[in-house]
Amino acid sequence: MTGKTAKAIFWVGTLSSLIIFLWLTYDFHKQEPKYVKTDKISPQVVAGKKVWHKYNCNDCHTILGFGAYYAPDMTKAYFRLGENNIVSIVMNPEKVYKNSFRKMPNLGVKKEEAVQLVEFLKWVGTIENRHWPPQDEKFVKAFRLRETGAEKLNKADIVMGACGGCHSLENLGRSIAGDFNDIAKTTSFDRATLVKYTLNPQSVRPDSGMPAQNVSPETAALIADFILSLKTGKEVQK
Amino acid sequence: MIAYESQRVARWYIELSLILFCLQVVLGLWLAINYAFTLPQGLIDVFSFATARAIHTNTLVAWMLLGFMGGAYFILPLECKRELFSVKIAYLQLVIFAGTAVTAVVGFLFGWTQGKPLLEIPVPLDILIVVAALLFVANVAMTIFQAKEKSVIQWMLLAGVTFLSVLYLFGIPFFSNLNADYYYWWWVIHLWVEGAWELITAAIVAYVILEVTGVERKVVEKWLYVETGLFLFTGLVGTGHHYYWIGAPDYWLWWGGIFSALEPLPIALMVLDTWMHIKERKNPIVNPLLWTYIMGLALFHFLGAGVFGFIHTLPAVNYYTHGSQITVSHGHLAFFGAYALLNLVVFYFALPKLKGIEKFDDRLGVWGFWTMVISMVFIGLVFGVAGVLQTYLERILDIGYSTAHMSMMFWFKAVLFFGVIFLAGVIMTVYHLFTLKKAGA
Repeated sequence: MTGKTAKAIFWVGTLSSLIIFLWLTYDFHKQEPKYVKTDKISPQVVAGKKVWHKYNCNDCHTILGFGAYYAPDMTKAYFRLGENNIVSIVMNPEKVYKNSFRKMPNLGVKKEEAVQLVEFLKWVGTIENRHWPPQDEKFVKAFRLRETGAEKLNKADIVMGACGGCHSLENLGRSIAGDFNDIAKTTSFDRATLVKYTLNPQSVRPDSGMPAQNVSPETAALIADFILSLKTGKEVQK
Repeated sequence: MIAYESQRVARWYIELSLILFCLQVVLGLWLAINYAFTLPQGLIDVFSFATARAIHTNTLVAWMLLGFMGGAYFILPLECKRELFSVKIAYLQLVIFAGTAVTAVVGFLFGWTQGKPLLEIPVPLDILIVVAALLFVANVAMTIFQAKEKSVIQWMLLAGVTFLSVLYLFGIPFFSNLNADYYYWWWVIHLWVEGAWELITAAIVAYVILEVTGVERKVVEKWLYVETGLFLFTGLVGTGHHYYWIGAPDYWLWWGGIFSALEPLPIALMVLDTWMHIKERKNPIVNPLLWTYIMGLALFHFLGAGVFGFIHTLPAVNYYTHGSQITVSHGHLAFFGAYALLNLVVFYFALPKLKGIEKFDDRLGVWGFWTMVISMVFIGLVFGVAGVLQTYLERILDIGYSTAHMSMMFWFKAVLFFGVIFLAGVIMTVYHLFTLKKAGA
């Protein structure tokens, strides 16, 4: 190979790749609204993104899979946890993760900021990113089906889709707030109290660390039935 | 034994760089402790994982950039056969850069951050970094423009540092759209390590090989053109392997997948040409440790960045491995293999000359090299095992996050164990470099 050929390889290689890359970048922006709801970026979403940056969330959590790998991915967190849980976790991590093997720092996030953060995460959840991360797809599906066609879901899926961000059921969900099998064994609440407790825990037990759940009364009733069905020790009805 | 008085500025850059290297590794161990044990709430409320990680990664970038700049200032006078354009600018730039880095680290402790991973430095400090970078690029450019003999290595070095500085700008603005934010975030991160930094590496390695082996310049420069051409050809469009899951058109799966699958090719060529040039050397081996480092760089660069990158770059694999401890494993192996070792090659090339030593006593340095290399291989493997476990438990068996992570804690303890050994290797190496002595003295 001559020096000239080598030089030609450098320029042809570099320039061809650069042109392709810049063209794709142009097209990426042109097609962006198809994948990202750019028209839904409200001032609240922007404020939420600033909160996300302010507390350096991304140096423990990943979002879109990027960042640090110390804490769960936040891309679909809105579907996994729901609004009230996110606010409650962000504002009182020392209570929520009291018995957890891994802690989250209390950074003094204000209520207003936590609400903005939820708006941001809600928007991030709408990005069409080919169903990544895989482990959160079940929460996305359960969330959407709860709203449109709960009858298509089996009960365990509905319950874990709503509660799996904190509660576990054997291998499913997160073991922060206790396993449903244990809760079923120890609870003295009847169906109506369970429903009330799910919708507003502090109205039943003022010292409860559980946040009010953003679920419909029908879903709350379904959750209550599910827990009571575990109590009797019979097979979980699918 | 330096040929030009202005080369002496390099020593300050190199020594500061080594101190930051130690700090980076200490913080790394702290992060491993965060993973391996449950820490008290009161402690992490004031010094969180996020803060420690910001310091870990920023000291990484800072020591490597300082190493590049010191290396460039050492090599440029030799390559241009003249003094640096301005020694004063070189010192001014060092003071600005180091001052900004220290301010940034202290700022992180008090929560002053831009909140973007790896690019946490807030905007006012970013501007100071840009000023330092402009001074550096101007100094390099003027030195090269005023050189009587022009060479490919000079131009490649200038192209690399200019490209590096321009890319930094894309990480500064606030984007209201997260998707566009990460699109351009990768212009800094990916195009640095798989573009601009590779140009600088290739140019510096070409110079060091030329100098220590005495092979013909024409041959080395030919390789340099082909390698950098392939680096940019595969690396630019290869950025697409970060765009699979951010909400971008389907063609990125193809462009990103195919181009990034070719990325190991130029690194393989680097291994080949290093090997050939060492075999065909005309000069005798004076300091065997420097040669060990050069060959170690070529091989570890290929394995950590090239092979391990290739393994999880295709979309079908990446869907499962993305954002897991597998990325952590790859990150450690690639940064150490490519850029930590490159900087150490430069330091072992330059420091003996700066201290007027021709043949140095390398016993402690050899221990340092092997301790670091072997423990880093294990760190990579252990993170890799944790990552495979995480992927399998969370993404295939569908087990919850905390249940999965609790079963990974053993492997994080193993990382901590090998991390302590790695730190021992770093201390040996840094101490050796600070106290280089003549062989047999």
